[in-house]
Amino acid sequence: MTLLRGRLDGLEVTLSGRDLEQAFGELEARLASQPSFYNGASAVAGFGTTLPAAADIARLRGLLLQAGITLRALSGSSEGLSALAQAENLQFEVGAAHLSDSARSLVADFAGARGDIAARRKRGEASVRRAKLEPQARAHSELRLVEALPNTLYHSATLRGGQALHHNGNIVVVGDVNPGAELIATGEILVFGRLAGTAHAGAQGDEAARIYALELTATQLRIATFIAAEERERTAAPQPEAALARRGQIVIVPLHRLGELDDSGTTPA
Amino acid sequence: MHQRQDSVIPGGAIEAAVTLSESSEASAAGVTLSESSAASEVEGPSTKSGRAIVITSGKGGVGKTTTTANLGTALACRGASVVLVDADIGLRNLDIVLGLENRVKYHLLDVLEGRVTVEEALVADKRTENLFLLAAAQSREKDEVETFKLSALISRLRERFDYVLIDSPAGIELGFKNAVAGADEAIVVCTPEVAAVRDVDRVVGLLGNRFRPRLVINRLRPQLVKKGKMLSVDDVNGILRLPLLGVIADEPEIIVTTNRGEPLALRTVTPTGAAYHAIAARVAGEDVPAPIPPAAKGSFFERLGSLLGGGR
Amino acid sequence: MNARRIVITSGKGGVGKTTTTANLGATLAKRGRRVILIDADIGLRNLDLVLGLEKRIVFDLVEVAEGRCQLRQALIKDKRFDSLFILPAAQTREKDAITAQQFATIADAAAEQADYVLIDSPAGIETGFRNAVAGAAEAIVVTTPEVSAIRDADRVIGKIAGEGKPIRLIVNRLRPDMVRSGDMLSVEDVCEVLSVELLGIVPDDEEIIDTTNRGEPIVLDDANRLRAIYDKIARRLEGELVPFTRFDNQTLFGRILDALKAG
Repeated sequence: MTLLRGRLDGLEVTLSGRDLEQAFGELEARLASQPSFYNGASAVAGFGTTLPAAADIARLRGLLLQAGITLRALSGSSEGLSALAQAENLQFEVGAAHLSDSARSLVADFAGARGDIAARRKRGEASVRRAKLEPQARAHSELRLVEALPNTLYHSATLRGGQALHHNGNIVVVGDVNPGAELIATGEILVFGRLAGTAHAGAQGDEAARIYALELTATQLRIATFIAAEERERTAAPQPEAALARRGQIVIVPLHRLGELDDSGTTPA
Repeated sequence: MHQRQDSVIPGGAIEAAVTLSESSEASAAGVTLSESSAASEVEGPSTKSGRAIVITSGKGGVGKTTTTANLGTALACRGASVVLVDADIGLRNLDIVLGLENRVKYHLLDVLEGRVTVEEALVADKRTENLFLLAAAQSREKDEVETFKLSALISRLRERFDYVLIDSPAGIELGFKNAVAGADEAIVVCTPEVAAVRDVDRVVGLLGNRFRPRLVINRLRPQLVKKGKMLSVDDVNGILRLPLLGVIADEPEIIVTTNRGEPLALRTVTPTGAAYHAIAARVAGEDVPAPIPPAAKGSFFERLGSLLGGGR
Repeated sequence: MNARRIVITSGKGGVGKTTTTANLGATLAKRGRRVILIDADIGLRNLDLVLGLEKRIVFDLVEVAEGRCQLRQALIKDKRFDSLFILPAAQTREKDAITAQQFATIADAAAEQADYVLIDSPAGIETGFRNAVAGAAEAIVVTTPEVSAIRDADRVIGKIAGEGKPIRLIVNRLRPDMVRSGDMLSVEDVCEVLSVELLGIVPDDEEIIDTTNRGEPIVLDDANRLRAIYDKIARRLEGELVPFTRFDNQTLFGRILDALKAG
């Protein structure tokens, strides 16, 4: 990711995934080469999943000020970052809605997870298994509390092929997700319609994340680093289902029978 | 439909072309060009506003150009004034399908770059009254078209014609974007093939909220559908979920007439010709049930009939 | 190994570039060659569909270009042939997501691992087409015996010929009955207009649509005559002099054959 970029509302300094010392050095050099170019601009500093120290913020501030740039806000997904911003009298930006700058850095992080996925695929560990459940169901189903993530992206339209939603949080789509469309969420994914594209839940490693759909016919399903694709044609009538990771594999369970699973979470591989 | 006298339109001579036609019905059939251009000079901006419809698909070879030519012909046969714009710069084909390739003197870029007026560039169709072609350039590139200039041209054409049909190139690159820019309605053409459906879906997504595209399914072979060897209308529209404008069955006649430059819409007795006329009627706002071709009876077409007859 | 890098293109859409790429690739792989197919149609990818591999895509061409993964991570091995691989295009991006230079670099990298790199070009003559050609050292132009397709093929040939890359022609979807009745152009007509070396003549086949829908290249079907046709194309590509199949119009093919023998 480029260190220093222009945005509609000013500059963005991308420090996520970098060694801060090195990054500051680079930034200093870069600004020194064009000392008055950015004069008067404001900047947002993105830290991704890292939580910087107050001293780092002070240093960054000073560095930017030398080039006439005011540090306006911090962005990132680490806990404590918003508190830090407040303490430093700065605004706080969450990794926001789909296709935002921070979502793009998210995608770069996914590449790492997907490297694992590719490796698993090559080892032949990727097939969908339908959970075999005993016919006698337990009377009640469990409600599982989803961890409160910053926000849920709510998209009330069908996603066409080639469209993508990438979000730091949960994604809800009211409509279909057509083949060729892509959903990537750090949280869970819920499609109130037909999911036929690709969906990746728990994209930063949350193996407990689930994918729900009224009709689950995805081209490919991914949860954390697990991947699954169903090769056979499904002949049964569509019913609402959930996909979740269990014992290193993705399984699909009819929604009304979710409560019958012996544990409410997952067992990592 | 009357035969107009053969002529290449010299510069600024639209009025001349109209007076050449033999029947006085010419001026009665919709607004004539001479009237409308006079109106726009004398009375200021014309209150008449035609419809600008882009015909596109993403996938190549599904029948955009054939659909544009045939739909345009059918609309003109109903009395509307129609101009067909070929936006496939560098790979122009609309002129061939209409049999007008020898009559093209000037093309779209000549107009956009101000070398000739649009009247000078318009080619009147050989057979159908009130149907005109604005051909694409053959030896130029798509990135030489300035989008806003093309939109402006389409707007001007809308003031003079009931319908401006824009034949989009294949793909989703600049050529496609330019073709779409001037339009306010869209028709997407799809064949019953998985790859085509994927591409059309992509295009519908790219068209975005400005358009509510309507679907023409082309090259359907009912026998193959029955054998399970081809997607059905339901398979296609089950994914696309668009208002269905019409279904054209595949006929060997289509290639023949394309090679000869004779749009099938001229032959209303053929199933394809009839289908295009039905599509034209629906575009014009009529509620037309699907005609059932004599050759293909059976549950598929009856279902199709109810699909189309029940609304757009 | 250093592969032959061949772009398969046409100008006109829908004439069979992707089907040709898939079937020719499968045929070469069957002959024991190591083949990498690259889908250059960013945003409208179909090569994966035609081979039935769409569910196996993890990384794509654009991600390789952006350095987010290695080429070998993005390559997908075919279900049926061990020596056939595909590098899929990106679906959620546009053609300007990659430069001609980047594409050429990737094609070169693929060429180091294979005997053949076949590049499936998008329709048209815009950026996507230019990028695809940039990655190749030779071209196969596909056309159908229809005026529009031939005109577009001609335009494309003009563009590629300017770069000094050898061009060969495949005439696709031939219908001999329509040629005989004068309703379709003959192969000879086509060659006359385009004047490039003829690589193959593929007749129209009803089964093709179904096989592409199912993701099973038609050359897998022993009973289908196209299998033998693509085999001949592969052999000609590798330098053999193989006579063209006679579809009932004898004089026509006699003349082509004579021309070939003479030249």
